[in-house]
Amino acid sequence: MMTTLNTILLLLVALAIPGVINRTRALLAGRRGIRFLQHIYDLHLHLRKGAVYSTTTTALFRTTPSVYLGAAIVAAMMIPVGDLRPLLSFEGDFVCMAYVLALGRFALILAAMDTGSAFEGMGASREALYGALVEPSLMLAAGTLALLTGHTSFARIFDPDVLPGARFAVVLLLTAYVLMKIVFTESGRVPVDDPRTHLELTMIHEVMCLDYCGVDLAMIQLGGWLKTALFSLLAADTLAAAFCLRWWVAAPLAVALTGLAVGIVESTQARNKLVRNTTFLLTVAALAALAFFTGYLLQLNIGMA
Amino acid sequence: MFYLYTLLALAVIAAAVHLSPLKAKAWTALAIVAAAGIPLAVKAAGVLSGGGTCRLWAFDSLMLGPDSGSLDTLSALFVLVIAVGAAAATLYSQGYLRHALAHKSPAHISLHYTALAVMSLSMLGVVASDGGYSFLFFWELMTVASFILILFDAERREVRRAALSYLIMMHVGFVLLVAGFVRLHAATGSASFAALAPYFAQQPFLPLFLVFLGGFGMKAGLFPMHVWLPEAHPAAPSHVSALMSGVMIKTGVYGILRVCAAAGDPAALHTAGLIVLCLGIATGLWGVILAASQNDVKRLLAYSSIENIGVILIGAGIALLGKAAGNHTMALCGMTGALLHLVNHSFFKSLLFFGAGNILTQTRTVSLDALGGLARHMPVTAILFLAGAAAICALPPFNGFVSELLIYLGMFKGIAAGSDTLAAAAGTVALALIGGIVVLAFAKLYGTVFLGSPRTHEVAEASEADNVRIAAMALPLAGMLSVGLFPAAAVAVVSRAARFFLTAPTGVADYMLSSALSAVGRTAWLLIVVVGVLAWLRRRTLRTRTVSQGPTWGCGFTAPNVRMQYTGESFSEGLQSIVPSLTRQDGEGDAVGKHEIFPSPHRFDIRRKDRIDNLFTAWWVEALRLLNQRVMRLRTGKINHYVLFALAFLALVFLLSIFNLIG
Repeated sequence: MMTTLNTILLLLVALAIPGVINRTRALLAGRRGIRFLQHIYDLHLHLRKGAVYSTTTTALFRTTPSVYLGAAIVAAMMIPVGDLRPLLSFEGDFVCMAYVLALGRFALILAAMDTGSAFEGMGASREALYGALVEPSLMLAAGTLALLTGHTSFARIFDPDVLPGARFAVVLLLTAYVLMKIVFTESGRVPVDDPRTHLELTMIHEVMCLDYCGVDLAMIQLGGWLKTALFSLLAADTLAAAFCLRWWVAAPLAVALTGLAVGIVESTQARNKLVRNTTFLLTVAALAALAFFTGYLLQLNIGMA
Repeated sequence: MFYLYTLLALAVIAAAVHLSPLKAKAWTALAIVAAAGIPLAVKAAGVLSGGGTCRLWAFDSLMLGPDSGSLDTLSALFVLVIAVGAAAATLYSQGYLRHALAHKSPAHISLHYTALAVMSLSMLGVVASDGGYSFLFFWELMTVASFILILFDAERREVRRAALSYLIMMHVGFVLLVAGFVRLHAATGSASFAALAPYFAQQPFLPLFLVFLGGFGMKAGLFPMHVWLPEAHPAAPSHVSALMSGVMIKTGVYGILRVCAAAGDPAALHTAGLIVLCLGIATGLWGVILAASQNDVKRLLAYSSIENIGVILIGAGIALLGKAAGNHTMALCGMTGALLHLVNHSFFKSLLFFGAGNILTQTRTVSLDALGGLARHMPVTAILFLAGAAAICALPPFNGFVSELLIYLGMFKGIAAGSDTLAAAAGTVALALIGGIVVLAFAKLYGTVFLGSPRTHEVAEASEADNVRIAAMALPLAGMLSVGLFPAAAVAVVSRAARFFLTAPTGVADYMLSSALSAVGRTAWLLIVVVGVLAWLRRRTLRTRTVSQGPTWGCGFTAPNVRMQYTGESFSEGLQSIVPSLTRQDGEGDAVGKHEIFPSPHRFDIRRKDRIDNLFTAWWVEALRLLNQRVMRLRTGKINHYVLFALAFLALVFLLSIFNLIG
């Protein structure tokens, strides 16, 4: 029952976030904006299309959308919404989540290389580098949560009974902030990447899917939404753990956090120059290290008192 | 007598290989490996399934004291790894060397196969020996045999150079090992590994530990002693690279683990753990960053071996720290993860080097910038190589993921329990970064070699490798899949081998591990099912749609060609811009200058060299040369100067004896 609710909420969050982002951007620009569910209609449209494949590509190119979406689905199965139980939960599940997502990324990078296009190779190389640099921050954030709660699986960490409580609010806040930065990176949003740019030379995620259309593109988009949702939920759970870890707090919080943050940042800020992205990601890693270290010191202090 | 019998056996092997017909020499070598490997592997399986230790030989020599060989759980695990790796490599060589049979002399081929068989057997001897002088004997035999194996293409200058530098570095390590064992013998009266524990109980831990770490680390390719690896592996034939990289360097890890296990005092364990962890982090990061910068398939694979040794040592370091802190879960996870990663690496690295061998023979090049689009011409190799690449990137559902998960779990258990939090966090960050960059390195390798369009004509005409070689590649693949899809069963076996290291019973930790690993196994299957269902749905949907083909979208550019594809060098350019100081750029030719409006044809070749690859040759050779130069100043060639020197010497002796400084 709880698990079913968890799954449904996760899907809802995944489908709602792009709508909230669009609405926020429209409001800030003073427009009425597109329909809230427009992205779902677009997805439906893609699903009804045929496909054109490049003659350079191999079977790998055609398998990748399934792998990418499949990996996102399996990874999302490990994410708890607030105090609910996820479908999959075991010791070290966050490591599993990170590596399952890495499988999707690996497949997409190879698919981009498969087309033999210089532009897609460019996107692939950037995705590989930024993906590598974001990994330590994610593991440090997970490490911080393990340090505070003494547990090593998401379901046990986000358990209302083992809540680290308000003493560690600072650390939780910082970790949530780091996780939000990871949301920006993993979902290819400003300031790391701009999904609306018109120049292939400066793209990262979008340029990798240039040769996909129809069903395949729909699968990749859906996978991307799931990825955004699962990282947003992690950030929301972490933030909620500081005051009230319930599902009715965590799910709306995830939608609001990512929807508003991405919408506001995209309306007010230009994307980074590509060379500055590495600096951005290293700063995130430094913040994650700071959160970890603060948590460590606080725990030492409390242990002594 | 023991050594005499062993040498006699070597002579018999050499004779057998020499007398068999040219085409059957590979099968003879395989038969020899099987004849020794299968009985030992059966014994090892018995030991691992709970049969206690198994004595193999024991004798007492007048000069060197008692010596023995036996299989405990750790050696049993290594015996299995070596037996499988050696069998696969020998099988692969049958197909790989078929072309060489025509233009090498039969004696040359015989020597190669004899060395191959001897090397396999000597590795078995190394792990079966209980330490002491028979260990050193097999160790040296292994070094010499591998030296001969590297020298197969001795007509090429860089091969001779690489083999020689390998031989020299291995002997620097050997001297350290001899020093270590002699010290042990002198202090305790026995040179076996069993004498280490009493030695460490009485004597200071660190000096002997460091001596052994240096000796074994040389073989394992520990940073900064790794510099022989990226030279020797591209020089050696591919099956030899597979055997050396997949199996032989693990004997160095074996030695390090033996020495670490003998430490009993928590303070010593803690020191050892920190040293091993830091070395593991340095080795892993250095290896992976250099791997991502290489533009040669075999060199990239060699650096990735260094990286994997780093990962194994991170696991071992975590295990040592866990044991020192009394955290058994951490110790068990770390050691099991390290051992399983060692087994895994022997599988996928053999597979990848075999794949590199296929590429080399079918296209005659291993340079990333000449290859491309091989997946169309060599589909089976491409699929097998993809499995190997995914496994080495630790992606589920393959085996590399299971072992890295265990190491992570050990570190997170340490963090969660508050024991060595900062060291464990450093390990976590390093392992995460290594994991990310490995994906970059292997996406680059696979993408530029197998995907896209062929960059040269030769590559476009490549054909698939023969079936013997494909069969040899399927052997490690079977191992990879069985570990990846049934992790609980695999870890149950390996954790028994990890028991050698743990003193306390580990019931709770065992339970935790087995439940977590069954969940990992279920997740792997779930992943396969989900992807399968999605692929099926996609196919079904597309069946009713119009599916057509066209050229790759050129972003508006109408005349793209194969030279415009992203190359290996450009793929890792972003990483290079962050870590420029780790590599030295060696270039030939000139790039197109800014002032050239109509550029003429340019030839341009960049190689990224290890910044410290001349650590063991350049600086002290240079120092020696300078010293020599100073001494040479005394050699003036004038007889009156020499008489003066003799007089000065006599005066010195006279003065020293007056002041009673010399007797």
